[in-house]
Amino acid sequence: MVLVLALGDLHIPHRAHDLPAKFKSMLVPGKIQHIICTGNLCIKEVHDYLKTLCPDLHITRGEYDEETKYPETKTLTIGQFKLGLCHGHQVIPWGDLDSLAMLQRQLDVDILITGHTHQFTAYKHEGGVVINPGSATGAYSSITYEVNPSFVLMDIDGLRVVVYVYELIDGEVKVDKIDFKKTSSTHPAH
Amino acid sequence: MVKKRVPDWLNSSLWSSAPSSATPTTTYANEEQEHTVVDPPIPPPSPSPPTREDPPQPQRIENSRTNNVTNDHNGTSSPPSTDDISRQAQLLAELSRKVIDIRELRRIACQGIPDGAGIRSTVWKLLLGYLPLDRGLWSSELAKKRSQYKHFKEEILMNPSEITRKMFSSTSDTSDAKCESRGLLSRSEITHGEHPLSLGKTSIWNQFFQDTEIIDQIDRDVKRTHPDMNFFSGDSQFAKSNQEALKNILIIFAKLNPGVRYVQGMNEILAPLFYVFKNDPDEENAAFAEADTFFCFVELLSGFRDNFCQQLDNSVVGIRSTIARLSQLLREHDEELWRHLEITTKVNPQFYAFRWITLLLTQEFNFADSLHIWDTLLSDPEGPQETLLRVCCAMLILVRRRLLAGDFTSNLKLLQNYPSTNISHLLYVANKLRVQSV
Repeated sequence: MVLVLALGDLHIPHRAHDLPAKFKSMLVPGKIQHIICTGNLCIKEVHDYLKTLCPDLHITRGEYDEETKYPETKTLTIGQFKLGLCHGHQVIPWGDLDSLAMLQRQLDVDILITGHTHQFTAYKHEGGVVINPGSATGAYSSITYEVNPSFVLMDIDGLRVVVYVYELIDGEVKVDKIDFKKTSSTHPAH
Repeated sequence: MVKKRVPDWLNSSLWSSAPSSATPTTTYANEEQEHTVVDPPIPPPSPSPPTREDPPQPQRIENSRTNNVTNDHNGTSSPPSTDDISRQAQLLAELSRKVIDIRELRRIACQGIPDGAGIRSTVWKLLLGYLPLDRGLWSSELAKKRSQYKHFKEEILMNPSEITRKMFSSTSDTSDAKCESRGLLSRSEITHGEHPLSLGKTSIWNQFFQDTEIIDQIDRDVKRTHPDMNFFSGDSQFAKSNQEALKNILIIFAKLNPGVRYVQGMNEILAPLFYVFKNDPDEENAAFAEADTFFCFVELLSGFRDNFCQQLDNSVVGIRSTIARLSQLLREHDEELWRHLEITTKVNPQFYAFRWITLLLTQEFNFADSLHIWDTLLSDPEGPQETLLRVCCAMLILVRRRLLAGDFTSNLKLLQNYPSTNISHLLYVANKLRVQSV
């Protein structure tokens, strides 16, 4: 039972000043084993804050990040799953699921996590699953101003993943979940 | 002022702490000589436990284990004398009856239980009420309890991930079937507001995270239990599986008893029970030692729970009042010592008696001796709490000369590192205290 937090596109301090209070009250240290961040934090203070939640932090660089040393893409293995991470502004058209699927095949991962669009999506294709945790602060994006704060918590348990989606809608936290299983340890040959 | 006289029998040199000089002419005397080689102060005197292997004996059953610590003494005995044989025979005879007479069993067990043939394991189970007195019911009772424990384990040791998966397995299966090879993944609602970051009091996730603190504590304490014994500590697979068993028992106990949860020290009370049951020569009993130990632990602790409950510390049943009773007992039997100890040198009994009482003397003597003391504690008809107080009082009386001669520092040092003693002797004195106070 491994809990992995996926979030990104906070744009602190340029477009938002902090995470919503209701999110912050839920995110306490000691519960989460890994944090995956798509990028656009943008400053070191946010990096430090995330580090206090969990020491195992993975970040890729978004176009507004002030830290230039984050990688463009990252892959890691958690349990039976290979996860890939990329901010997403590099993949055009932005948010296009076919292009993201191409990136996923390139990285050869089961779950690809990208951001940039500030909209939550969870999409399945033959190569695996693409998850976009949205923007944790609800910052406006290059595409739209209508953004609900959201982030994702994945519970990886063997070959099964339960994805809990946390969204702040009208001031209330709504939680949904998505279940999916990996059929086997190898990729299906499609 | 009339001082309450120290009874004459106390003043005799027999009751001094020097181990080798004590040879009262009772059954205990004979018993000393026949005790296993592990018992410390048998003449020839050597106060510290001799570090030698148990000599291989025909009855020795646990040959395969590399127990080179003297405290482990499974199924061996030095050349048995008539008394030892007779006690063993008496116990075996009692145990083989169809319906066991518990009073008779207590009477024999009170003098000490021999270490061979798994007798101690069976007798303790009977004394703690785990096995019924009617032999015919043993197998059905055991089967029932053992399966109940297995059930506990499955229920309680599951993490929330598994729980949610079990609860919602039906829905997720159908959604998998409907899922196409391409497309947006369908979102489903969570039930009861159960999600990993939930802060609700009834949330299984929240409870799980709160329990991890206790589980960490239990883990740490189990690793520190008896580090000198191969049975409990070390890198061997055997030690690790024993530690795992101890952990499981303590975790399940903590979860089933939210009132008292886990308190440091419970691991020390658990250890001798598990050791005795695991070393039962009967294979089936040894295999189910974890389940048996759990129930016996619950039973044993039920008499002493109040010692572990912090809110009860100052109440009539709490640890403070128990310590006060010990103090009172000492005053009744040996006022001079009591006065010197508590008033003149101001040694507050809480400084030493707390550990004696809450941990049932497991920390004061070596492992073999504490097993012997527990024989008496468990079998005495007055109950373990009362017997414990008498034994503690006897411990104080046995070192009275040194205490009377010492000041605060030396007395405290002595009592917190109680010198190794002839246990039979100690128990004899404790027994006499009962006779006196009647």
